[in-house]
Amino acid sequence: MATEVARSAVDAAAVAAVPRSRRFTPFGLMGLVLALVLAAVALVQARQFALLKQTVVYQDDYVVLSLYQVQAEYLRLREHWVRAQLEGDSYERAALQLRYDIWVSRVGLLRNERTARLMVGNDDYIEPLRQMNEFIDRADTVLGTTTAKPVDAAALAELRPALEALAGPIHSMTLSASHHVAEQIAQRNAAVRSHNQVALLLTVFLSMLVLAFGLMAMRQMRLLSERQRALVDLTAHLREAQRQAESASEAKSVFLANISHEIRTPFHGLLGMLSLLRDTGLNARQVDYLRTATESADHLLTILNDVLDMSLLESGRLALAEEPVNLRDLLREVESLMRPQAQLKSLALHIDADPGVPEKVRADRTRVKQILFNLVNNAVKFSDRGVVVVDLHRASGDDGSEQLEFVVTDTGIGMDQATLDRLFKRFSQGDESRSRRHGGTGLGLEISRSLARLMGGDVTAKSVPGEGSSFSFRMPLHAIAPAPLPRSPEPAPAGPEPDGMASLRVLVAEDHPVNRQYMAALLEGMGHRPFFAANGLEAVQAIREQRFDIVLMDLHMPLLDGVGATLSIRALNDGVAATVPIIALTADAFAQTRERCLMAGMNDFLAKPVSPERLSAMFRRLFGGAHGAEPLPAGAPELPLPGPTPEVLDRATLDAALRAMPRERLAQLLQSFFEEGPEMVERLRVALRDGQALDLRVNAHAARGAALNFGLSALAQTAQALHEGATHVPAHEIARLIQRFEQLLTTSREACAAAGLLEPVTE
Amino acid sequence: MAMLEQLPQRSFVTRTPWYATPRKFTGPLLRDVLSACGAHGTNVRATALNDYRVDLPFDDAQRFDVLVARLLDDKPMAVRDKGPLFIIYPFDSSAELRTTLYYSRSAWQLKSLEVQ
Repeated sequence: MATEVARSAVDAAAVAAVPRSRRFTPFGLMGLVLALVLAAVALVQARQFALLKQTVVYQDDYVVLSLYQVQAEYLRLREHWVRAQLEGDSYERAALQLRYDIWVSRVGLLRNERTARLMVGNDDYIEPLRQMNEFIDRADTVLGTTTAKPVDAAALAELRPALEALAGPIHSMTLSASHHVAEQIAQRNAAVRSHNQVALLLTVFLSMLVLAFGLMAMRQMRLLSERQRALVDLTAHLREAQRQAESASEAKSVFLANISHEIRTPFHGLLGMLSLLRDTGLNARQVDYLRTATESADHLLTILNDVLDMSLLESGRLALAEEPVNLRDLLREVESLMRPQAQLKSLALHIDADPGVPEKVRADRTRVKQILFNLVNNAVKFSDRGVVVVDLHRASGDDGSEQLEFVVTDTGIGMDQATLDRLFKRFSQGDESRSRRHGGTGLGLEISRSLARLMGGDVTAKSVPGEGSSFSFRMPLHAIAPAPLPRSPEPAPAGPEPDGMASLRVLVAEDHPVNRQYMAALLEGMGHRPFFAANGLEAVQAIREQRFDIVLMDLHMPLLDGVGATLSIRALNDGVAATVPIIALTADAFAQTRERCLMAGMNDFLAKPVSPERLSAMFRRLFGGAHGAEPLPAGAPELPLPGPTPEVLDRATLDAALRAMPRERLAQLLQSFFEEGPEMVERLRVALRDGQALDLRVNAHAARGAALNFGLSALAQTAQALHEGATHVPAHEIARLIQRFEQLLTTSREACAAAGLLEPVTE
Repeated sequence: MAMLEQLPQRSFVTRTPWYATPRKFTGPLLRDVLSACGAHGTNVRATALNDYRVDLPFDDAQRFDVLVARLLDDKPMAVRDKGPLFIIYPFDSSAELRTTLYYSRSAWQLKSLEVQ
């Protein structure tokens, strides 16, 4: 749906884009017209300016003024002339002379070029001018500057008619000139008016154009804002679509996680049934079929785990459980599990840690191991010869932070760039053919990288085809300063008196007899009454028949495991029995296991080895303070061995055990554990011989649980290696591990004896 | 006339509406004439022989090199030649002057100057 919305949006954008390019042409046309109009306006203005300039130059009005002046001066001259005639000699000649000169100078002006140009071709001008000049020529004989003729009345009288005769022509010349000028002014005004009209028209046109431009701009703005609004709408749609897609994807991840989880529970039942089937007297062919079925089931479980991891990672529900981790131990575990596979392919396996790497760090042990297994497993899988090297050293991140870097290098088939590019993509392996050859879910590397990134690190790869690959796994380094081992057990806190406590009826579902004895000692020591069931079925039966305050449920049991038993108990009709608190006991402290227990309806979870402190803390949580008291014998005994505890023993666990029970009791338990040892080894050997991987697992697991309870750490570690490697480690390697287990039994026994832990019996 | 001759003489050639060709005018500057008389005022009223009157702003004498021309082409001017004196603005020096206003202020056949 999101895609459809997006596509329609793109279409809309394309449709909107087309008219925009077309609209450009009218705009251009209008611009051209505007330019033309502006040019026309400029032309008109230029013409008007020229006209005005012409007016200034010609001074037409001035010419008319000159003509009037000529007439005025003529009239004044005539007046003086008459007075001079009348007054005769008494008249001052100079006055007449002045008037005459002034008039002549005025006439002279009419002769100048400009006046001539104005009056050209006008008879009313030429003829009077000619007559005036004629008169001046005559009068100059009397009044001229060069003549000395006296001005007498006779001379004046003689010239007077000629003077009088000028009056008419001068008048008509003046009139004619003013008419002429008026005409010219009218013409000029007309021109100005027409220019004005043109200018007005152009201005109107210009205004209309501007108006049109404005309207178009407004329309453009409106379109723009509409388009913007559409874009905003589209963005909202897309965001909504994205949100829907994301929530759908998340829902799918959650669904996948739930389904994988749901599948695993019956699947474990299937595996249990397969292992039961093995003990029903099968012929060789059936054993073979069963082994194939078991292998397929194990593989399927691996895939399920991968899918569950992936879905948890995707839905962001996967939480890391950080704890102190001994890095070299962790590498040893990886080595012990991977070496058999490497040997099977004649590959050398070198695992090395730089001395600069701290002993202990805070990390999610399980997940770090998971990543390393994946990387080393791939390296072994894709190498047919040469060597696989795991190198651990310190590194610094891009931001300068301290990091740990595991580099897994192989001399395998290598990858080209294209393969590298899609290496971390889901369900993609190197290539299709390789995928078919080597199997696997194709999720491994993606999970590894996602886990590494969740830790704040990363997984990267380099490779040269034909020469091998190198994978680097980086994670932030959180070093823990090594704490010195306590030399002696801490004094036990003084608790309330044993008789002051409520005694609890505790059902312990545990398949291993030694573990049962251990739990009995622990619980009795705390003042509670233990009851036992050897498997899930017995546990369910016991719950139906009796009342218990609490059930401690081992997860790995024959017939019906802890999860199955819990499901059955929770499904009981008896309301009181169905709600009894159930606490899981298990040696693997995986968050997944815990989650599985809680999903099945268990109340809480205790990791083995079960220490009295943890147990009492648990009781405190469930039943309140009184039950949580630690009913330790007064003056808790110390280990008699003053020196360092031998490597095979875990001092802290032994201390805890000694706090929980008298030394004699512990000695008995240890004694029976060691006595059962040869039988344990035998069971493991039989399982190996018969190819009963699950049997091997169950036995190894039981042995591990007991060994952990007694602080036999080396023994527990070997048992765990057996447990984990049971399904995929080759037989000869398993045989080696069993042999080691047998040796360690002896070593541990000797160590216990040396520590004085077995004394009461040996005495 | 003698007084005018004694003042520093200036001359320029300019085109005028009254002559077809550019003519040379010579005479004292109007501002020299006014200062020689110690005159102060806002207007100078020029009166011509034909009773033509025009008021020149006093400022004109300072802003422009206005001549009280005595000589036209180095010759004294007769009354017929618009003499004896001619107030002449340096029309060719500025377009501002080539307007009717300044043409009308150029009084010829100058008879008297009266400071107001």
